[in-house]
Parts: sequence; structure tokens; C-alpha cells
Amino acid sequence: MERLDLFRGLAARRSDEIVVTTMTATLQWPLVSTHPLDFDFLAFGMGHASDFGLGLALARPERKVIVLKGDGGLLMSLGSLVTIGRHGPPNLLVLLLENRGYEMTGGQPFSSKVDFVLLARGAGIEKVERIEQLSSFELELPRLLSEPGPHFVVLPVTNSEPLPPVAHTDHTSRVRNLRRALGVDGA
Amino acid sequence: MSASATRTVSVLKGLGFTDAVSIPDGESRYLYQALVDDSDIEVYLPTREGEGIAIAAGLWVGGRRPVVVLQNTGLMEAGDALRGCGIGPSIPLLLLVGWRGYPGAMSGALPVDSAFTYTEPLLQAWALPHRMLMNNDDLGVIDEMTAMAGATSRPAVVVYGHPFSP
Repeated sequence: MERLDLFRGLAARRSDEIVVTTMTATLQWPLVSTHPLDFDFLAFGMGHASDFGLGLALARPERKVIVLKGDGGLLMSLGSLVTIGRHGPPNLLVLLLENRGYEMTGGQPFSSKVDFVLLARGAGIEKVERIEQLSSFELELPRLLSEPGPHFVVLPVTNSEPLPPVAHTDHTSRVRNLRRALGVDGA
Repeated sequence: MSASATRTVSVLKGLGFTDAVSIPDGESRYLYQALVDDSDIEVYLPTREGEGIAIAAGLWVGGRRPVVVLQNTGLMEAGDALRGCGIGPSIPLLLLVGWRGYPGAMSGALPVDSAFTYTEPLLQAWALPHRMLMNNDDLGVIDEMTAMAGATSRPAVVVYGHPFSP
């Protein structure tokens, strides 16, 4: 499915969930969403978007945390699946954008043999699924947003759209803005 | 006499810490257990230290107050996460760092563990304020470094050189 179509579908159904994006998702998600609870994790730490999202979800149990990350990023922190399997709270939803390569750096492919569903299940995450079609994703999304997780969803994506340039906004401001949106004291 | 794990946990609780993200080392095994045994502090065990720092950053952004406990070798592994989830975005994490190699180096044993050799230069290179926790008389450095992290909006480090006692 086209990644931007997937993002449009998610943005249309998202309400007060936190959305953490990283790598190419940080370039395209802003085309469909300017929500104060959007958090651009780009350059916060390679491979660690879902770790940060896990911390957020643990801190804010009343609110769903959605992480949009790529499969290349997951390979940089595979152990995080084990941590989610052990500590992942019901309000964590990881959407793995599977394109089988490092798109941000030119699309270099990695091993085609990797099965992310098996990896996640083997790490102890119980609610793991693979959704191939956009129509299925849009059908399942209300359940994924309301049903207790943690959920780990593998979404094979393509992209035929030109990517906007990387905008290196101030990291401290990103943090301050999210804390303010969450009503955290001292933000 | 090294620092007491239970007294260290009491200090952390008194300072308002709510969570501990820790990959224990041999020196912090009693501290880890004391944290687990304390019902007021949630303990999370990641698989690598960089992962732990990112989890702690998420906890802090969400309004919790985490402490990260890791060995100096783990701090070296976690460099990118510390840069990106601590120093860069001005997140005032408190790190308790085990100084692997310290007792051996102090006793004159050879060869010197390179983890000992590069710990202080690394902290200095990152301009991370740090103090040593060697025994119960030093427990005040936890308060000092917590205040430093808050005042500077940067991570601050307490380095422990000996195994915690129960």
C-alpha cells in the first residue's frame, strides 16, 4: 500500500492519540497532520523511536501512543521487541512500515528473509498482525485504536511520492511542545 | 564500605524519582534488587543501554521522573541515544553509572580495564557533570547531580566505583 495513503487513513481516524514518527515518516506525516500531539523523533537516536514511544505510553496510560517507524530502524534496536513484550502497556501501538530497505539513505535493501511478524511474536508480543491492504488497515484501525494492546502491526508499504526535504527543527522545542500539549508541569 | 542499595533507593524516592530503567551490572545487583523490591518505583529492564535511555526520555517527556542505572560500558554503547534523547533535546536525565575497572585500577592490577580508562574522558568530552559515589558518605551527590540536571536541562551522572552493599 502507498505510505501516504496509509497516513491519510490514519490521520482521518486519529483523535487524541500521540503519534511518534521517525525517518521518512517524519517527512510525509506532516503532509496529512499538524496535530499538537505529533512528535517528530528524527535525529533523537537511531532505531529508538519505539523505545521512546514505550516510555511515553508507560507515562501516559490514559492515552494511546502510536509509533510510525520503519523496518530498517527496527533492525537497529531489535531487542526493543523483547522489552515491549515484557513491559509494553495496553496503550502502545507500533505500526511498522515495512519497505525492506534503508529508504532515507537511498533505498539500500537488507535481507529479504526477515520475518518481522515472527520476530515480534518470538519476542513475546502477543498482539502481532500483518495487514497487506489499505482497505483492511482502515477497517481494522478503529479496533487497533480502542482495543488494549500492546499491538505490533506490520504494514508493507511503497512510496511513489517525492519526499519533502528534511527540516531539522529544534529538538528542545519539540520536547517542550509535546510536554505542553500533554499538560506536563513545568513545560 | 560501599554505598548501601536501600539507602540509595531511599534517597532517590526522597528526590521524587518514580521509575528506574536499568541494565544491572555486577556492582549494581543489590541496587537493582532494592529498586525492584520497592513498590514506589517502577523498574524497567531494557535489552541495551541506548534503548533504556530512549525509554527514560519518553517517561520524562510524559511527566514521570526516571533514573537510568547502567555500567560505563553501557554508557559507551548508548552514545547516540544519550546525544539524541538527553543532551540534544535538553532532557535532564539522572544517570547512575557503574565504573567497571575502578577497583582493579586502584589496586594497581594490570592490565588496566579500558572501560576504566575511558570513562572520565568520555564524560568530559560530553561535558556531562559527574560526581563519585563511593560510600554512604557520598549519597548527597545524588541530590547534587539531580539538581544539576534540572538546573542545566542536561543529563548529569553519578559514578559508583564499588559494588553496592545491600
